[in-house]
Amino acid sequence: MNDLVSILDGNTFLVTDQRGDVEPSFDFPTGLFSFDTRFLSTWLLTLDGERLHPLSIDDARSYRTRFFLAPGEPTHYLDAKVSVIRSRAIGGSFNEELTVLNHSGEQVEFRLRLDIGADFADLFEVKSPRQKKGRATAMVNGDELRLIYRREAFHRETVITTSEPADIDVAGMTFHVRVDRHGEWTTRLHVATVVYGARGEDIRASLRYGGSRDMAAIEAEQSELIERAPKLGCDCEPLATAYRQSLDDLAALRYESIALGVRLLAAGLPWFMTLFGRDSMFTSLQVLPFLPELVPPTLQILAGLQGHRVDDFRDEEPGKILHELRYGESAGFEEQPHSPYYGSADATPLFVILLDEYERWTGDSQLVLLLESAARAALGWIDTYGDLLGTGYIWFQTRNPQTGLQNQCWKDSPDSISFSDGRLPGFPRATCELQGYAYDAKMRGARLARKFWNDPEYADRLEREAAQLKERFNRDFWIPEKEYFALALDGDGRQVDALSSNIGHLLWSGIVDETRAGRIVDHLLGPRLFSGWGVRTLADDQGRYNPIGYHVGTVWPFDNSIIAWGLHRYGYREEAGRICDAMLAASRYFNGRLPEAFAGYERSLTDFPVRYPTASSPQAWSTGTPLLLLRVMLGLEPQGEHLVIDPAVPEGMGRIELLDIPGRWGTVDALGRSRTPLDGRRP
Amino acid sequence: MSEAIERFFESLPARAPEILRGLVSGTLQIDLSVTGGVTEHWLVMMRPGAVMVSRQRGPADAIWYSSADLFERMVRGQAQGIAAVLRNESTFSGNVVLFLVFRRFFPDPPGTRDPREVARQQAGRPA
Repeated sequence: MNDLVSILDGNTFLVTDQRGDVEPSFDFPTGLFSFDTRFLSTWLLTLDGERLHPLSIDDARSYRTRFFLAPGEPTHYLDAKVSVIRSRAIGGSFNEELTVLNHSGEQVEFRLRLDIGADFADLFEVKSPRQKKGRATAMVNGDELRLIYRREAFHRETVITTSEPADIDVAGMTFHVRVDRHGEWTTRLHVATVVYGARGEDIRASLRYGGSRDMAAIEAEQSELIERAPKLGCDCEPLATAYRQSLDDLAALRYESIALGVRLLAAGLPWFMTLFGRDSMFTSLQVLPFLPELVPPTLQILAGLQGHRVDDFRDEEPGKILHELRYGESAGFEEQPHSPYYGSADATPLFVILLDEYERWTGDSQLVLLLESAARAALGWIDTYGDLLGTGYIWFQTRNPQTGLQNQCWKDSPDSISFSDGRLPGFPRATCELQGYAYDAKMRGARLARKFWNDPEYADRLEREAAQLKERFNRDFWIPEKEYFALALDGDGRQVDALSSNIGHLLWSGIVDETRAGRIVDHLLGPRLFSGWGVRTLADDQGRYNPIGYHVGTVWPFDNSIIAWGLHRYGYREEAGRICDAMLAASRYFNGRLPEAFAGYERSLTDFPVRYPTASSPQAWSTGTPLLLLRVMLGLEPQGEHLVIDPAVPEGMGRIELLDIPGRWGTVDALGRSRTPLDGRRP
Repeated sequence: MSEAIERFFESLPARAPEILRGLVSGTLQIDLSVTGGVTEHWLVMMRPGAVMVSRQRGPADAIWYSSADLFERMVRGQAQGIAAVLRNESTFSGNVVLFLVFRRFFPDPPGTRDPREVARQQAGRPA
């Protein structure tokens, strides 16, 4: 992925090689994608039959890239009589300006060929290719090439036009151009992605943001969002860079939902450019102190799509909050369950947690009233369908073994939940962090019921249940001889005893008995879990540990941000600061853009955080990580109508100043400074 | 018009208090094409806890278009509306929230068992 170039605007994105070319590929999603469909799988430029070579790439902007190219291999650079600039942007549609520069002293004729093709692959077919069920055709129509895919009423088109005349055939366009000495020639290519509705209209035409937006509009919208966010001033360069990068990426990851006509955050490029319940809510929790207005649309669409019936194919149950919504062919024809899919056991309690946290920051009681029935249904799910075995815990077990998810927690890869010796437990499974979220949801639900829903009895009941859950949990999940909480219980009630980062989430939820918090902190910052760059998903002495295993040894920035928040909650400020410091140190190696995950190797072994091969980037909840770290370091916590500011800035970080933090208090400023001998020597 | 669809609409007022628990109000028009190019119209006026159904056309805040055949499968729990929209077998215009609320009237797929019962049986626990 490192040598690929991506540009994106919402859930339309383009991934190409270093030349700006796209060639058919099935292992990694290169091409132009929109709403989970690949609209271009071939986009390949040759000059007089020769491929071009990149001289440099300007990709400073998320929605715009410029490639500077010359024909032939690098050794021929110096003789290049011609060069090519491909300047492109994405904004609903895709535009490329193709310029040929003649550097010689005489007029030259060139033959410029652009091979064009679309396989209309659904994103899930890119992962596991198969024969398309519909029919693809191509048509030349005057100055446009039209690529068409139809399957029953499902109809997608890619329409390519050029501003300069070309010989157009069904596989591309050829330009015969004559360029004066030291002159240049340019054509503007426009690629429209069309999603037809039943009445033959592009269903996005009616969306406010859905059609093509020009670069100025995108830029204006992105800078408006960045302008609204609090201003950061600090001595720590990596923090400043990461903050700025995060705001840029949050702006780029916003997209308009077809379903609700609101702007949501896509979860991550390239695999997750859609709505995920869990990802969108964790990201919302991270960005809430900075950009609270991003939160209500997320809560509203999740409430609107809340489960209402028992549907085994979608793992749906009444009251459950969705896992993943997709717009592609495989979802429509029910070859995949994402319409939406509900296979996540944490999204439902997280919904209540986010609603409460949002009100505590903003004072927006209207939304709490509007979503009362949804929040009650979510709380109801925890004790009914969520408690599959009737033992007072949230369990999961998919009812769709073909296309459903086995692990319905944030670590959702097949081998993520294991015993210490590496064995995999049976189903159903009750992972520990789910119980923490349930506890927190009940406590917060009680506050909402008492304060806004005028239902003190319900509030009392929820608090009682939360207290019982905490007691039960500290009994059933605690492994006395190992002194940590089990990763999960299996279907027989046995403790799944791996040492994992999940115990950090328990601190965030507040379900850990005070007397045990210290032991948990020791484990989190101890050598088995802490790599020096962050807390590993799985301790390095466990059976399934693999430093480059997706959920079994890598370090996830999002995970670490929640753990740091948990350490803050229990008063372990110095330890929280160590995690913040490690994350920011790691971010330097990613130019301020923390990826989805990186390898779990010991810091002393590698000196830099090793990339995880297929990590998504930008990934929304990694993008949100620096923001939550800032909250933790400055000790920001709403209390009544006020914002408590209680900074604990890690040693050596110097001054952190965050201006205009929005909330129910209007806006306030926070200032923190590390106070150590080292800092005393700063100028 | 199929009997299943008629019965479905007839059942709505009695089920509304249980199902329309949110604060959403608005009118949804349902246009169902039957054979011979004929379109049947249903108008569903929803407010918290109550619904009124009539056979008029509009005015409506949102319109659902599909074949009567697809709608009958939805009424029987065999088809799901959002997937149908994604594959363009049906179309929707107007305030989508109204359809998201209305879809709560559709039943489970036929033969669905309570997952708790299944899991507890499998685990050898009392259901």
